[in-house]
Amino acid sequence: MVFRFFQPFLIAAIFVTTVDANSINPSVISAPGYGELAYKLPEIGSYQLPPLGEASNGEVLIAEGEQRTLYELFNGKYVLLAFIYSTCSDVNGCPLTSHVFYKIKSAMQRDQVLASRLKLISLSFDPEVDTPSVMGLYGNNFRYAGSAGEWQFVTTASQQSLDPILKSYNQVILRETDSSGRTHVGYSHVLRVFLIDPEKNIRNIYSVDFLHQDLIINDLKTILQQAQRSGETIKLATASQQTSRLSKPGDNKLGYELSDYVTDSQDLELRKGEKADLLSIANNPPLGLPAIPVPVDNPLSREKIELGRKLFYDRRLSLNDTFSCAMCHVPDQGFTSNELAMAVGIEGRSVRRNSPSVYNSAYSKLLFHDGREENLEQQAWGPLLANNEMANPSIGYVLNKIRQIDDYRGLFEAAFDGRSVSMETLGMALASYQRALVSADSPFDRWRYAGDETALSESAKRGFEIFTGKAGCVACHSIGERSALFMDDQLHNTGIGYRESMGFSPDKQPVTVAPGISIEIDRAIIDQVGEKPPTDVGRYEVTQNPHDRWKYKTPSLRNVDLTAPYMHNGSLSTLHEVVDFYDQGGVPNELLDPLIRPLGLSSQERSDLVDFMRSLTGSNVDTLVADAFNAPIGDVGEGDPSWVHGSEVEVR
Amino acid sequence: MTRADKKLWLVLLFTILSVTMASAGTEEIGGDFTLTDHNNDTFRLSQLQGKLVLLSFGYTYCPDICPTELAKLAVVFDTLKGESDDLQGLFVSLDPDRDTPAVLSDYVGYFNSEIVGLTGSEKAVDQVARQYRVKYQRNDKAGGGYSIDHSANLYLIDQMGELVVVIPYGMPVEHIVDVVRGMLSVDG
Ligand code: HEC
Ligand code: HEC
Repeated sequence: MVFRFFQPFLIAAIFVTTVDANSINPSVISAPGYGELAYKLPEIGSYQLPPLGEASNGEVLIAEGEQRTLYELFNGKYVLLAFIYSTCSDVNGCPLTSHVFYKIKSAMQRDQVLASRLKLISLSFDPEVDTPSVMGLYGNNFRYAGSAGEWQFVTTASQQSLDPILKSYNQVILRETDSSGRTHVGYSHVLRVFLIDPEKNIRNIYSVDFLHQDLIINDLKTILQQAQRSGETIKLATASQQTSRLSKPGDNKLGYELSDYVTDSQDLELRKGEKADLLSIANNPPLGLPAIPVPVDNPLSREKIELGRKLFYDRRLSLNDTFSCAMCHVPDQGFTSNELAMAVGIEGRSVRRNSPSVYNSAYSKLLFHDGREENLEQQAWGPLLANNEMANPSIGYVLNKIRQIDDYRGLFEAAFDGRSVSMETLGMALASYQRALVSADSPFDRWRYAGDETALSESAKRGFEIFTGKAGCVACHSIGERSALFMDDQLHNTGIGYRESMGFSPDKQPVTVAPGISIEIDRAIIDQVGEKPPTDVGRYEVTQNPHDRWKYKTPSLRNVDLTAPYMHNGSLSTLHEVVDFYDQGGVPNELLDPLIRPLGLSSQERSDLVDFMRSLTGSNVDTLVADAFNAPIGDVGEGDPSWVHGSEVEVR
Repeated sequence: MTRADKKLWLVLLFTILSVTMASAGTEEIGGDFTLTDHNNDTFRLSQLQGKLVLLSFGYTYCPDICPTELAKLAVVFDTLKGESDDLQGLFVSLDPDRDTPAVLSDYVGYFNSEIVGLTGSEKAVDQVARQYRVKYQRNDKAGGGYSIDHSANLYLIDQMGELVVVIPYGMPVEHIVDVVRGMLSVDG
């Protein structure tokens, strides 16, 4: 009972020292990672960490039924990857990793750079016990404490999907057996933690004796400093990663499927508007794009672009003053809606198709998914009058309303040589703004059209070979000698539309209803209470030619990394799904385009293809988005005609 | 909710209750159990509803892991003493042969009077270990006696009896305090 007077830690110490030596843990001596580093670290930047080889890809589960590739998790960041299993009891094994990762996570709380550049990943090699829901319980640690910096706990679907990953990372894992040959509770494995750069190169591998937070942070800062010092390297480091800081939802939704998701508002500072010189961007499109075609009767001018921009963001252009063009073509979501497969309009009315991006729509000879409109001037009236989009009762209604809004006074006249607002001038102004939204000079463009070998990652270069070779994507998503539009102004049947009209869909559909809560719902129930799936037979609706059934327009792939979900109905949510779709030969039907056929791509080839498409994000995206943030959004003013003050729009 | 469209929300209104209840299947980690506490009384986890429970596993002859883990728990209780009355520590013995209620009573008492020691039949204890995915194994020693290898994570069960966080063995005590504090401020 004397022990009562001692501090608890002392008791622990006494227990340890009084127990005989061949107890369960022969290595009671703990690894350096638990204490202060015994040696002095070299100065940051004073040494080299040359790449040790490429970090491999593989398929993991981030939550029940949520498959991702490791590369998707790396997400262009520096990564510390550890292999663990949650029931590990060897103090100098997995718990050491937890301890050291925790220390680094704590450093992330204080150090912005670390928090934004580095990501920690613990990958279980015991898929049987460590199911996604078990890993979720680990992830939950940071729902309640220390939210800065990311530490993700993932597992694999099965031993089969795990094995290639272990093999490629050279992790030999043995189930321990005791002298009588019984399998032991534990695994024996050699602890290794990998430091991986955004180019997916392994830069260091830490074993028990070297796994220490101070050393790891020192290494990371060294690599960061060297990347910064030589402009080339930094390009290399960011080559295949998304180059837009602003194209993302107001909330960071990464990991929303996980139960440890916490609301993570993006930096408001970042989202401040800044006006751009759109006219000169339009007149000198970025590297990789040809000059934009401009109709003779609507030459570009600063005034028209400015007016079109005001209209595009103005919510008063809708019947009830709530809905602007930008609410479906959201600038910070690639000028589309990342969270909606099919658009939702005024008062929540559903639209049967996915909002396409308006980036580079200047080059499209065909507009809308079925190509029914041919110029931007005409096109705008579609959404303005559609009952389920902006719901205005008539053209006259819109024009009269604008005439009565004070802050438009004189603007049309100034932009159009004295002509006032009319069906024509309104379309011309909106068209002028959208025409200026040209975006290129991506890593791909700098590699292909400026000969910069360092601009594109190796995997993206391999992806380019597949895109233009084996997979034949380039036949429709064209790439020219001096510029590339990644589309052909044609319509094709890939089977997406066929699948939808035939009602082929899985029996059950997983639905994430709140962070970490995902339920499988019977398709039959959805069909019972939901709206009927919209009928959509594509180009046929325009031409009435039976051969045009399920044909849709080829969209450009520029900025495609920013414009999920994909296809005319938004039915594919990631680029990986798109590639899988093409790899299996689309959906066969009597009118399937002959170019769509099973491709037989390996998983490496599929991921290279995705990397290639990710390299198509333009360098001026943030400029265009910041310019959009700067635009007024059309709050109802005092003198404006509006139901808000009971003043009706006069229809003359 | 990345891809779901409006109609799914509608469905949800109709099905959310039934579905969440149905999903509480048997395979899930965690759950209620019945054992014997260190005062030799029957103990059910569900009797602690309304409290935040810190559940750990070990055995009293354990040379290193268990005492350090229990010492950490004691620090958590000392630190949060003034902040909440709704905390409860549990220490489930994986060695029911040697850990009788009396032995446990002495042992947990060393650390903190807020911690309840639990034991039971070998079968009952094994069942709880399985529920919480605790791995353990008896190793006979050359000179007689035995030790038990076991995993040593800490399980946090919220006021509704739901397992919400598992803190991996190896995390420092500051972290445990932070998480517990975070949970108290969210749920309490
Ligand atoms: C309710 C959401 C919604 C609103 C509001 C909306 N759009 Fe769209 N937009 C869409 C959808 C969906 C499509 C594709 C429709 C189709 O193919 O049938 C589209 C297509 C387009 C296209 C064709 C792009 C291409 O490459 O084919 C342009 C340009 C466009 N919209 C501009 C505008 C403008 C300008 C406004 C405001 C006057 C506007 N949109 C308002 C959802 C919306
Ligand atoms: C036969 C012509 C054709 C070929 C070959 C082709 N595509 Fe497409 N692609 C299309 C059409 C048409 C669509 C639009 C389908 C729809 O909306 O339903 C499309 C859509 C896409 C999209 C979605 C873009 C978005 O914004 O929604 C991606 C990504 C894409 N293709 C990539 C590829 C890749 C990668 C390959 C090669 C493996 C490829 N395509 C081969 C015609 C083609």
